This record gives sequence, structure tokens and C-alpha cells, in this order.
Amino acid sequence: MTTATTVRTAARVVDAVKVYGRGDTEVRALDGVSVDFPAGRFTAIMGPSGSGKSTLMHCAAGLDTLTSGTAHIGDTDLGTLDDRRLTLLRRDHVGFVFQAFNLVPTLTVAENITLPLDLAGGRGDPEWIDALIDVVGLRDRLHHRPAELSGGQQQRVAVARAFAGRPDVVFADEPTGNLDSRAGGEVLGLLGRTARETARTVVMVTHDPVAAAHADEVVFLADGRLVDRMEAPTADRVLDRMKAFEVPS
Amino acid sequence: MNAAVRLSVTSLRAHKRRFAGTFLAVFLGVAFLAGTLVMGDTLRAGFDTMFGDATSGTDAVVRSTDTITTPGESQGVRQPVPTSLAGTLARVPGVAAAEPDIEGAGQLVGRNGKAIGGQGPPTLAGNWITDPKLNPYRLAQGHAPRRTGEVVVNRGAAKKGDLKIGDTTTLRTPDPVKVTIVGLATFGGEDGMAQVTFTGMTRTDAEKYLTARPGQAASIKVRAGPGIGQKQLVDRLTPVLPKGVEAITGQESAQENTDMISSRFLTIFTTFLLVFSGVALLVATFSIHNTFAIVVAQRTRENALLRALGASRRQVTATSLAEATAVAVAASAAGLAGGIGIAAGLQALFPAIGFPFPDGDLVISALSMALPLAVGIVVCLGSALLPAVRAGRTAPLAALRETAVDTSGASRTRAVTGLGLAALAVAATLSGVLVSPSVWTAGLGAVLALVAFVVLGPVAATTALNVLGAPLGGLRGVTGALARRNALRSPRRTAATASALMIGVAVVSLFTVFGASLKATMDQTVSRSFAGDVAVSTPSFGAGGSGLSPRLAGAIQRLPQVDTAVGLGRGVAKVDGAGRALTVTDPVALQRTFDLGTVQGSLRDLGTDGIAITRNEAAEQHLTTGDDARLTFTDGKKETFTVRALYGRSELAGDYVITRAAWAPHRTQDSDTLVAVTFKKGVSADAGKAAVGKVAARYGNPSVQTRHEYAQSSAGGIDMMLTLVYALLALAVLIALLGIANTLTLAIHERTRELGLLRAVGQTRAQLRAMVRWESVLVAAFGTAGGLGLGAFLGWVLVRASDGASDSSFAFAIPPAQLLVVALVGLTAGALAGLRPARRAARLDVLHAIAAE
Repeated sequence: MTTATTVRTAARVVDAVKVYGRGDTEVRALDGVSVDFPAGRFTAIMGPSGSGKSTLMHCAAGLDTLTSGTAHIGDTDLGTLDDRRLTLLRRDHVGFVFQAFNLVPTLTVAENITLPLDLAGGRGDPEWIDALIDVVGLRDRLHHRPAELSGGQQQRVAVARAFAGRPDVVFADEPTGNLDSRAGGEVLGLLGRTARETARTVVMVTHDPVAAAHADEVVFLADGRLVDRMEAPTADRVLDRMKAFEVPS
Repeated sequence: MNAAVRLSVTSLRAHKRRFAGTFLAVFLGVAFLAGTLVMGDTLRAGFDTMFGDATSGTDAVVRSTDTITTPGESQGVRQPVPTSLAGTLARVPGVAAAEPDIEGAGQLVGRNGKAIGGQGPPTLAGNWITDPKLNPYRLAQGHAPRRTGEVVVNRGAAKKGDLKIGDTTTLRTPDPVKVTIVGLATFGGEDGMAQVTFTGMTRTDAEKYLTARPGQAASIKVRAGPGIGQKQLVDRLTPVLPKGVEAITGQESAQENTDMISSRFLTIFTTFLLVFSGVALLVATFSIHNTFAIVVAQRTRENALLRALGASRRQVTATSLAEATAVAVAASAAGLAGGIGIAAGLQALFPAIGFPFPDGDLVISALSMALPLAVGIVVCLGSALLPAVRAGRTAPLAALRETAVDTSGASRTRAVTGLGLAALAVAATLSGVLVSPSVWTAGLGAVLALVAFVVLGPVAATTALNVLGAPLGGLRGVTGALARRNALRSPRRTAATASALMIGVAVVSLFTVFGASLKATMDQTVSRSFAGDVAVSTPSFGAGGSGLSPRLAGAIQRLPQVDTAVGLGRGVAKVDGAGRALTVTDPVALQRTFDLGTVQGSLRDLGTDGIAITRNEAAEQHLTTGDDARLTFTDGKKETFTVRALYGRSELAGDYVITRAAWAPHRTQDSDTLVAVTFKKGVSADAGKAAVGKVAARYGNPSVQTRHEYAQSSAGGIDMMLTLVYALLALAVLIALLGIANTLTLAIHERTRELGLLRAVGQTRAQLRAMVRWESVLVAAFGTAGGLGLGAFLGWVLVRASDGASDSSFAFAIPPAQLLVVALVGLTAGALAGLRPARRAARLDVLHAIAAE
């Protein structure tokens, strides 16, 4: 690190390179990306298909490993951890919201929310979880199974689960990809509100400018490189910026 | 059709692993079946050759026509022929040689002082036939017995007892005879006739020790002169034979011998093995059916797409069936090869464990190949039929829906059908057991009970798994809860998986309960009717052993510690035309050492023309005290006996009792089967037992046992039997476990994304492994619990049915310790079955799992 950061970072990658395949089939999904995700902020990662945005998120979250460069959660260098420690780090410090298949079908809503805590064997903070349930508005659904919920409700459960363990950072991968605009809006509003109210860091991958507009800041990726950052985005500004990618450079 | 075949080939190639379990299940079942058949044929052919070789020099056998067969015995007792007949026959033109064949029981004592053999196969003694062509045994080493006390023994017996030429040992006939081994013999080129031991003595010795009086032989063997055929020889002999004596050709005699071995040993042996391969295949059916059902369920989308694209129902069904056929044919063919391998392995293994396996190539008949092949294919295709039809019924729209919800677990029809079947089963069983005892009705009830269990499985699964899994949640936290709910996901699938194990465990428990009940019955018999302090007997099982010296009882009687010592001998006679076993003893002493129940009349004065009968038998024969019964003895003599007493208990004393004096004129080789001893007042059990033991040591060292020990050792054969049964059932249980492992593997494949999610939100690999393992244990626990219940019920039915079908009363006993072991083995096996799938699940890459379709 050459410059001292004034804001604490929840997660960051430095010179991240990820290469898939070899020789002719080699694909550089990430080609030297360095980016900080400041604590307490909602950051969206945008870019066209194949820009490496999902790969960036997976590597930053410790789901995948980098070919070179480093990824950190808080002060921990993920490259130094074995599979078990990575799993424990995810369990204790990271939350996830995926595009689909976010819940365990055999568990009830309440059990899904506390799953990471249960896996850790701890009881968590009952007041915190109680408050979360109210924030996501699912108190009357606690004993239902995921199959009995709508897609939007399922994603709200996933959001509650992601925040249940008071993680340092929550990663969301196209959380609205399978939802209609109204349900999607609800989930995004919830994500942003929860992040701000609980002072948690959220990193979201999306290709939807409307979704990105819910974030505090948008970072743009193209061809595995960080190409731009935008503070206080609006859907129109993001859309304009995205259009620029469509022009062959 | 072409498209269907092509699709199934590509699908098979893509899902090799899915079918590995099915392949193994069919392979094991078919291999076991084919191995049994090939081994049976090979053994039979081997014995044929062996007997053919051994008796090829005997052209005719002369023997008496009459046999007396007692109920429950396959081979009757034949009246002896006079040895002097040999001289007469030798003078018939065309006869080259005629020699008497004297047969009896004689058990050799080995170098370590222990008797050789006696655990099933007969221990024979006889005269060493001097004409080498008439003698089925060939001298391999040493010389024939010339002086009294010299014997030739078969090489197998010598090896077993560590005896060499020149050694002196004891032969129990049952009177101990000092013998010196001067030669070793082979039978049909082998060390012996299977594990039968043979001791050849001089003719004088044989007549002295093996027959009641000199001049009697079991038969006379005749060899024809040159140019005389066997048939011709028999025709020439017949005119000179006295009444009641017949001549048969050597070939017929050899055939009778092999038939006897076949019926007494081989048929039982192979039937036994076939029953267990049947159990294994039944278990396999469940495993295979389950695999196909799951594969079809997992392929719903794929099949729906095919249907949407224009495939007909028949084409989709055919695709599934073609797959099943390919697996069935491949696995069955491999099973045949495996079966031949098993038979070849056993052929090599048997001689190593002291069981001379007849030499010769494996006999592989068309039937022993065609049958297992057909069974394997039918089992496999039959199991796949329903799932294939279901695949054909897939609605094209299913491609657009999420995987169908399995509701079969709670289906009302299923519950009603299952309960109806269960009610029928109970009704049939109760009527077959209690109302009008019939083994068939009870058997029908047992089969219905099995079917009801299988049908009710999915209904019971939910409740059972919740109960069985309840401790898991507390014990293993969320991992345990997840395991339980995964097991509950598809009750039908779980029940089908568990059913396979259930059947295996049920059969194991059935035998365990039945064995324990038999033991309890024997124990009850001994403690109820044996009033003596110690029992002297030779530990033997089956046809082996030579019994006790008839002089032993007298010698023990002379001990100062002994109040009464009574020997029980065994005789046979026809009573009013029907063959019956007689107990030959001192009736007065018998009454002092055995509880005979209420005695009507008196056992005191049976004399030489009196007989005592159990009340049951007397009722059946319509006899009562004062009536006359006509007895025909093995020497052909007929005598009239008066019924002087009726007694109540027959368990150890037998149905008919006559005195030694009455038996003496008709006796064969003398031996007692049991000597019962009571001590005088004030003699401690230990002191008395030691004194009796000292005397017994001089009479071939039979075992001296207290009442309790005697009851225990009577049940010794049962334990041996159970061990064998357990070993054979291990195969069925193994197949059931393969089924559990396979189902789990398929389920894991199905839940890839979910597993990925769990890993992403922080489930460690160890937790994931534990989750899969516990699911496996739960399914196994369900199957084991069902199997224990069903097995105990079937055991009860079997015991009660046997009780109703026989005179003696059967005790029913549930052995808690053994059943607990069965339960633990089931659970442990479940944990083992889960190991591989758990490892596989834990190896999943998180990202790939989440991205998986």
C-alpha cells in the first residue's frame, strides 16, 4: 500500500488477475484490477457481459482464488487462508445474496435466516435478528418453507440471512436478475436501507442501470479492467456510461 | 427406435456412475447364484467320479432287502447278512471274489487326545477288504492290517489327527480299542470321501468290535470273473440267495451312494445357498428399482423436452428400458464370469481347509448359466419397468416446471392399502398360528406382512424419521437437522432405500430370534426332563461320532459318589409295521434321572416282553396299557411286546422304552448315546463331576457336563448354523448398503446447487460430510428398525407355527443382546455407506456448484 486511506476499507483487491484456460483458450477475466470497497458504503459493480464483474466479486468474497494479486476482507489476506479458514471467514465476516436458488428448501424462513449462525454453532444476537425480520417484513412468514414464498419474498429472506451474522461485507450477485421490477425495487431498497441503517458494506454485481442507481457508488469494468467510478449514480447517468461500452473502441 | 437406442447409449455413457450401484447389485446377486449352481454341479460330478472310481471293481452287492426307517431319518437300518454267505457266493460260477463288508461306527482319537471328525459327516470303521479291486479304498502307503489291532486309516483322517504310520491310538467303537496304524488309504484318488473318516481293521477285529455277534456283515461285495457282465452276475447270484436277501449291480450300488450324498448333503447345501441368493436378489430388486426411479425423476426435464420435441411416450419409455437392458445384460454377463470365479476359488479353497473337493474341471452346464442370466435380466428389467413407464408419461409441460413434488409419502390410498394388507397379514398369521395351526397359512401371513411393511414404508417414513432423528437435532445442531430433513425430502425414495436394508435385517433377525428360541427350547427341555446331576455324552453333530461304550454306565455306577448312572442306547424296530426309534435302557434307573411326567402302569417289570410308550404316541397308535404291540427287529425277528406303562414326557427319553435284556438278542453295534448320572446326597457337584470324569477318561474321554452345560452344548449346532447364515446374509446386507450409497450419491447430484449455497454461507467441509453421513445413518436406522420389528414378528410366527406342527412345545425367546448387535451393525453399516457420497459431496467446488443447472 502506497497511500494511506482515510476511510476504512471492508474489502479490496490489489492487482487482481484471473486467468481461465491455457494457450489458445486463455481468457483473462481480470487483468490487473485494484479496487477498494469502503466500509459502510453500497457499491455496485457494472459492466457488459464478460467484463469480469462476477469474477471480481467471487474473488473478493473468497469464493474463488486469484491467479495473481491479492484480495482482502478487512485486514485478512484471503490468499493465505486454506479452505477451512476461508469457509469460517465467509461464515463470520461475509454475507451472500445470489441471483437464484438462494435458500435451503428443507429449512423454514427463520431457519434460513439464522443458517450461518447455526452452522457456526453460535446463537447470534437475538435482538439484531428480530430487528432484521422487521426490516425485511417477513414476521408472518417465519415458519413457511421457501417453496411457499414468492420470488421477491425469497430474495428478502436471503437479504436478511446475509445480514444476520453482522458481516463486515455483503456480496450480492445480480440479486434482482430473476425478479420483476417491483419486487426487484423492493429488494434493492431493502439492501440499501439495511446497509445504511446498520452501517454495513454492500458490494453488488448487476447489469441493470436501475439497480445500480440504488448504490452509493458504481465501479465500471470492461475487459477485465477497472475503467471508471461514479459517485451518487442515477439510472440515466449509468445508462449513458454503459452505452459508451457498446461503441467499439 | 433407433433414436431411442442412440439416446440411451449417450445417456449411459454420460451417467456411468449412476449405474455403477445397479451394476454391482445385479453382478453380486447373479455371481452368487451362478457360483452356487456351478459348485453344486461340480461337486455332484466329482462325487460321481469318485464313487465310480472307488467302486469300479465291485460288480455286485448282496444285501438284505428290508430296511427299517424311523421318522426323520433318510437312511434306514438294513438287516445284516451272514458272512458265511460269502463262501457260498464265491463258489458260484463266474464269481472271481466275494467278501463280506462289515460296517460300523468308529471314531479315531488324534495325537492331541481329541476325537477326529464327528461334526456332521460319518465316522466309519469296517473290515479292510483284502481283494484290492473290491475295496473302495486304495492303500497309498504302508500295508494292510494283518494282525489284530492293526488298522489302515484314510489319509484325510490321519492328517487331521496328526497320525503317522506306526502310531498307536484309540478307536472308539465306542468301546475304546487300542489300534496301530499300519497303512494310509485313499478313496477315489482323494484323501477321503469328503470328510468321512474310515478305519479298516482285520475281519476278525471288525466282527468283534463292530457287530453284536460274529458272523454278520452289512453286505457282501462280489467281483465277476472275466467276460461276465454285472447284470449277468446278478442273475447268476440271485438263485443261490436265501429269502430276504437281494443282489444289485455295482453300478446301482454306486448310484445309490451318490444319490444318498446328493440328497443328504449336496441338495441341502445348494438349496440353502439358493435361498440366500434369492434373498440377495430380492434386496437387489429394491436397490435397482430405486436407482432407476431416481434417475427418471432427475431426468424429468430432459424427458419432457424430448416429448415437447415430438418423441412419443413409447420412445421415451423405450429409451429408459434400453438403458436398463444394457445394464442388465452387462451386469448379468459379468456376474456369470464372477460366479465361475467363485466356484473355481472355492474349489481351490476347500482342500486348504481340510475339505477334499473332488478333482476335475468345473462343470458348467447350460442351466447354471442360463438361469442366473435370466434371473439377473428379469430382476433388472422388472425393477426398471415402472420407472420407465413413468418416464414415458412425463408431460411435455414438465420441462417448464420445477421438479415435481413427491407426495407419495402421504398418499391416502397407500396408507389404506398398506393398513389393509397389514390387517390381512395379522389375521392370516394369527389363524395360521393360533386358531388352526398351519405352516402354510402362517407363511402366507409372513409374506403379506413383508408386503405390508414395504407398502407402508413411505407412510411410516415421516414419523419414523422424525422420531429416530429427534436426538440428532440436539446432538448435531443444524447439521443434524439438515440431515434429518434431507432424509425426509422424498419419503418414498427413503422408504425404498431403507426397504432393501429392512429385508436383509429382517432375515438376520428372524434367524437370530429363531435360533435363540431353539436354544431356549432345548434349555427348557433339559431343565424340565433331565433330573440328573451330570450328563456324559460325546460331542457330536449329525451322523458322526460313535456314541458311548455300553460299559461306561456300569463303571460310573460303581463309583462311591454315584447314586444312579443310567445309559440310554438307541435301537430301531418296526412297531406294528412303522419304523420307530427305541430307547434301550434300565427303565427303573431312567425314572430316577429323568422326569417322565405322570406314569400310568409301572416301569418296574417291563422284563423281556414289556414296552413303555409315551402317552401321545400311544394315542396315535391306539394303544394303552395291557395292549400288545408287534415289533420287528433289524435281524428280521418278530416279537410281541405288552404295553406295561405310559409316560408323559418324551423329549430326552424318546417315545418307546424297552429293557436291555429285551434288546440284547437283536442288538447291532452296542453304544449308548447318553449316560445320565445322579450323585448321592452330600456329594458336591464338583467332586462328583471330577470322579465321573476320571472314569470317562478310560472310555475314550467323552464330555462330562452339568445339566446347564449339557443344555448349552445341545444348542452348539445352532450357533454353528447361525454363523453360516450370518455369513451368507452379509451379501444381502452389502447389496442393501450399496443401494443406500447409490441413492445418496444420486441425491447429492440432485442437490448440487443447494450444497454449493450451504458451503458459500459457511458450512465447512466437515459439516457437509457429517450432514451426508447422518442422512445415511438415519436411512439405515429406519431400515434396521423396520427389519428388527419384522424379523422378530416373523421369528415369532415361525416358532409358533413349528410349535403347532410338532408335539414338543417350543419356547419363544427374543435375545436382546444379539438384536442390539444387529441394530448396531445396521447403523455402523449405514455410516460406512455414507462415507463415499459424503466425501464426494465435500469435494464439490463451491462456485461450480452454485452455477450448476
